[in-house]
Amino acid sequence: MEQIVSSTRALKLKTYIVLFLMIALGSVGNTILDKGMKGLGPIDFSTRATIWQGAFHTFTSGTVWVGICCMLLFMVCHMLVLSWADYSFVMLFSAITYALVPLLGYLWLREYVPMARRVGIVLIVFGVFLVSRTPPRTTPSISDHSAN
Amino acid sequence: MRTALILGFVVLTGTCGEISLTHAMKRVGEVREFSPAAIGWVLLRAFREVWLWIAVGLMAASFYGFLTMLSWYPVSFVVPATSLAYVAGALGAKFLLRERLSATRWAGVAFISLGVALAWTDLPTLQHLKNLFTVSRDLIFAAALASLAFYLFSGWAAWRFFKNSRSRVAENVADFTPPLSILKPLRGLDRGAYENFASFCRQQYPQYEILFAASDEADPAVPLVRGLLRDFPDIPIRLLIDPERKGTNDKVGKLCLLVQEARYPLLVITDSDVRVAPDYLRKVAAIFQDPQVGAVTALYRALEAPSFGAVMDTMGSLSFSGSALVARAVEGIKFTMGSTIALTRERLAEIGGFAPLLDMHSDDYELGRRIAEKGYRVELAPEPVEMEFPSESLGDYLRHELRWLVGLRHIRPGGHFGLLMTQGIAWAAAAAILAPSWKAGLAWLFAYLIIRLVSGYVIGAWGLRDPVVRRQVWLLPLHDIFWFFLWLASFAVNRIEWRGLVFTLEKGRMIPVTTRPGSA
Repeated sequence: MEQIVSSTRALKLKTYIVLFLMIALGSVGNTILDKGMKGLGPIDFSTRATIWQGAFHTFTSGTVWVGICCMLLFMVCHMLVLSWADYSFVMLFSAITYALVPLLGYLWLREYVPMARRVGIVLIVFGVFLVSRTPPRTTPSISDHSAN
Repeated sequence: MRTALILGFVVLTGTCGEISLTHAMKRVGEVREFSPAAIGWVLLRAFREVWLWIAVGLMAASFYGFLTMLSWYPVSFVVPATSLAYVAGALGAKFLLRERLSATRWAGVAFISLGVALAWTDLPTLQHLKNLFTVSRDLIFAAALASLAFYLFSGWAAWRFFKNSRSRVAENVADFTPPLSILKPLRGLDRGAYENFASFCRQQYPQYEILFAASDEADPAVPLVRGLLRDFPDIPIRLLIDPERKGTNDKVGKLCLLVQEARYPLLVITDSDVRVAPDYLRKVAAIFQDPQVGAVTALYRALEAPSFGAVMDTMGSLSFSGSALVARAVEGIKFTMGSTIALTRERLAEIGGFAPLLDMHSDDYELGRRIAEKGYRVELAPEPVEMEFPSESLGDYLRHELRWLVGLRHIRPGGHFGLLMTQGIAWAAAAAILAPSWKAGLAWLFAYLIIRLVSGYVIGAWGLRDPVVRRQVWLLPLHDIFWFFLWLASFAVNRIEWRGLVFTLEKGRMIPVTTRPGSA
């Protein structure tokens, strides 16, 4: 019985750690990509030469590459967590980013947050809290099958 | 229309992509080590999974659709609209990945979807929301019309079937009477059991035998069979006692034994609560003149309804008969019912006998499906059989209907979901609420009532000649309300109770739920 409890705790712990990394890398990666692309200025799509020029600037920008690396690591975390956790758990939990972005904007950049958005943030946080009350995995893992 | 199409594309491809990715990673197996080498190895194995590449393709398509949406609409509309992906994802996780979504997780889906929609909406999107509302309302009106059309169609299908079958029978109840064996698995006592059994002993048929099987001598049905042996000495009746339990489905276990002992090439299997007319066997056997017929099944009507639960049960069987007749008119019947399953030994051998059905929940449905899959026709007997509905409470009725719906969801998820279009009362109520005026709302409700009652009367009172329907057809809308909520509940229930034991279902097979030692 104790073994079951501790293995459930271990599963929850590793799920939350990888999810936290995933959410952090996704948010940071998006922000850095945003900053990198804005730093390059608008890409001119009027001729083939200017498009190639824009692509060259994009892929030689250190900031853009840092952003791409973050997004790749985000994808790796996403794949890892899906190897054991429910898709419905991961999908719902990662919705917290929708609340974090306007929240961080308000806290750090003092952006105005309208009332509807505030209510939305509260609903998302409450929804994620509800999801966190459910077990991360409800289907047997491959190793469970092979043990039987 | 363009908005709905692109939104549907983004949500569906995105959800299917994520589900494919999850499936790929589940096939790779749980990651337990997190060293760079171990993660690298996992990724390498993942890249060998074809599902991962399907996921990449679908997610790329979804992302492209998302960018297209962004080029057409403001982000404050696109993000809230795509929050539908949470609902689609939850449904996909439940039905495709077989995840168990508790009520708490569903509540999470609702709060998060609403939260994302609110957090990213601003005033200019209100016009889009209004458009979405209009489109949704039109869809609900269309669904309400479709459900009314379904009732009309089922009434017409019943009228055509009974009119044709009665005129054919009047012309010729053929002299095709191959010797046949009636197989009757027993367990417990139904109302009117002796009369039900005796009706099979009074058949106007040249050569037939009746075989009963019970698990032990203590079964209360056994003395009745002994009574039949005494009262009908000219009919070859045999009683087999076999205590061995061959599978989860005890009835199929008994059928395995009965078919071994049966002498004749044509087999007729009926539940123990069925009562038949003296020309029943003649009418059923005549259908087998056509070599393309693989099995014969029969609709059923109530003899009487001794309780409110039984009345609701009768209304349920009327609705089921309507759906079966629609299925017959559209694609032919591809299932059989416990009221009658007649088939030849040859066809039974082609589907591997009864043994493959030993653990199946809906053995009667499965048997017909397998025969139809072999390319044979499943036909309906021209007349319904009669059934002694038990004097059950409303609670009993609701429980067994829920069990039937949960079973259907597992063996035929598409058909179970398709019941959505037969929920006329729910669609009519939704259309009435959304109607532009109270008069239009009332018109929707009246249209439902009139069409449902007329169609129900044609199927039940005229077609099946059901005395309960004839007297109490006005209770049909009440049955529809219960049925709608049972259908909704059947999405959330995975366990069924069957003769005192609890089972889960996997692809139609009953898996007993065992209690962990010490977890009382």
